[in-house]
Amino acid sequence: MTAIIHAHGVSKSFGSVDAVQDVTFDVAQYSICGLLGRNGAGKTTLMNLLTGQEFADAGSIRLFGASPVENASILSRTCFIKESQVYPEGFCGKHVLRAGAWVYPEWDHALAEELVDALKVPVNRRVKKMSRGQRSALGVTLGLASRAQLTIFDEPYAGLDAVARHTFYDFLLRDYAEHPRTVLMSTHLIDEVADLLDHVLLIDEGRLVIDAPADELRGSAITVSGVSADVERFVSSRHVLTTDVLGGLTSATVAGLSSADKVAAVEAGLELAPVSLQQLIIGRTRGAQQGEVAS
Amino acid sequence: MSVAVDSGENVMVIPSRARRIANVVRLHAANPVPTLILPWLIFAAVFALNLAIWIAVVSAAGGRDQLEPDAFANNGAISWIYVFLLVAATQAMNLTFAFALGLGITRRDYFLGTALYLAGLAVFYATGMTVLAAIESATNGWGLEGYIFAPLFMGDLPLVEQFAAHLMIAVFFFATGLFTGAIFVRWRALGLYVFFGALAFGVAGLILIASLFDGWQGVGAFFTERSPLAVIAWTLPWSGVTAVVAALILRRATPR
Repeated sequence: MTAIIHAHGVSKSFGSVDAVQDVTFDVAQYSICGLLGRNGAGKTTLMNLLTGQEFADAGSIRLFGASPVENASILSRTCFIKESQVYPEGFCGKHVLRAGAWVYPEWDHALAEELVDALKVPVNRRVKKMSRGQRSALGVTLGLASRAQLTIFDEPYAGLDAVARHTFYDFLLRDYAEHPRTVLMSTHLIDEVADLLDHVLLIDEGRLVIDAPADELRGSAITVSGVSADVERFVSSRHVLTTDVLGGLTSATVAGLSSADKVAAVEAGLELAPVSLQQLIIGRTRGAQQGEVAS
Repeated sequence: MSVAVDSGENVMVIPSRARRIANVVRLHAANPVPTLILPWLIFAAVFALNLAIWIAVVSAAGGRDQLEPDAFANNGAISWIYVFLLVAATQAMNLTFAFALGLGITRRDYFLGTALYLAGLAVFYATGMTVLAAIESATNGWGLEGYIFAPLFMGDLPLVEQFAAHLMIAVFFFATGLFTGAIFVRWRALGLYVFFGALAFGVAGLILIASLFDGWQGVGAFFTERSPLAVIAWTLPWSGVTAVVAALILRRATPR
């Protein structure tokens, strides 16, 4: 595996806020990797660090095998689209796309035009006057048409409606198939992109809590439900992520069940259901918080 | 360890430094209003205002010949024009820095491209000022013996020297604008408060020193013993130092 992104022990604080703490991970070449986490978890800061826009307090970051900070040869094949991007005053959509064409050596003009049509990007409107969705559509167009070998999207579709989002997914997959590239994207819409992702990184309060292939995660947790006493007996020696009690019934999300465990659960009269990626993420982030309170 | 971009199909051309710097210049020029158009509108407004005042004074006096010949020759309007160039340079950086970094432009290339763009603007505005000064001289001060673009001693200099003087002054203001722009990009308004506060104290301190140690004669001599051009050339060290310091400040600036 060739690591396009390699982060080791990366930390960054702003005053007393530890935005990113000791984060270590790799992103493989030609993978689509999701960076998940709640608001304020540190996703944008981490992406700013990866692209050399912020300076890490500790740790090392390598893109394409070298530090991205002030490295033109790496940054010119990296495109970072963030929701909070500031555009120059007076710039219209077309100015932004023109600048993209200057800067990115593999810029695809035809793809940009196709995306402008499909996502209805108002190219003659000032970016400042655009709605949130229109600005997202512009960012998505810039990111995909850049054909950058590493494309990083921070909440790329905030404000996009469901149709536009699926247009984006379709274009991303199509272009990815024709021109393999590495994509790292942060998102709240976990289930919507779950099928797109090869790999999942979950960051919570600045710490990396999950770094796993998406396939592995999808099968990794199961909800066990039934009469409270039965459920409690079954899960007592197992790794419980979350528990919900309603009347005399309990449903618990459990990680790492083997086939034998599943058979045992069914024999104990319990119901099993797979857990969606989103539920799993919610379980894990809540769990991390409870852990913090307890310690 | 992984050294990527090795698989043949991925061989890629990194844009040359000249190309990258040119991209920054284009980024500044993409919206020409703040740096290329607005200053001329400000100049036109300053000019029109002065012209209006002169006409009012002349008509109140009952004719131009009722006034001293050099009544309109010592005019500070040009300082407004130059201060506006400083503001325009600062603003240009504030507008484009975050976007340039978002496009994967390095801070170094951004600085070089911005400095090149401002140097081009300095030549552009110095040329414009010299042309206006030539017209001013040819029309005998817009028909009113009023001098805006070549006030004070400037009108006595040959046009080449006038151009050199305008160029050095423009470079001075753009370099200072580059410096204040870098401060603003890195530390926002707080940085500018600190800088201008320190500048005010520094100037006051120099005035105090000159007064306490009877230095005013020396200061006066500095200006009278040299040719006007040589006096103006003393702005060059400041311009050089501020440009270098601006580069150092930008090296650690982050988009906000």
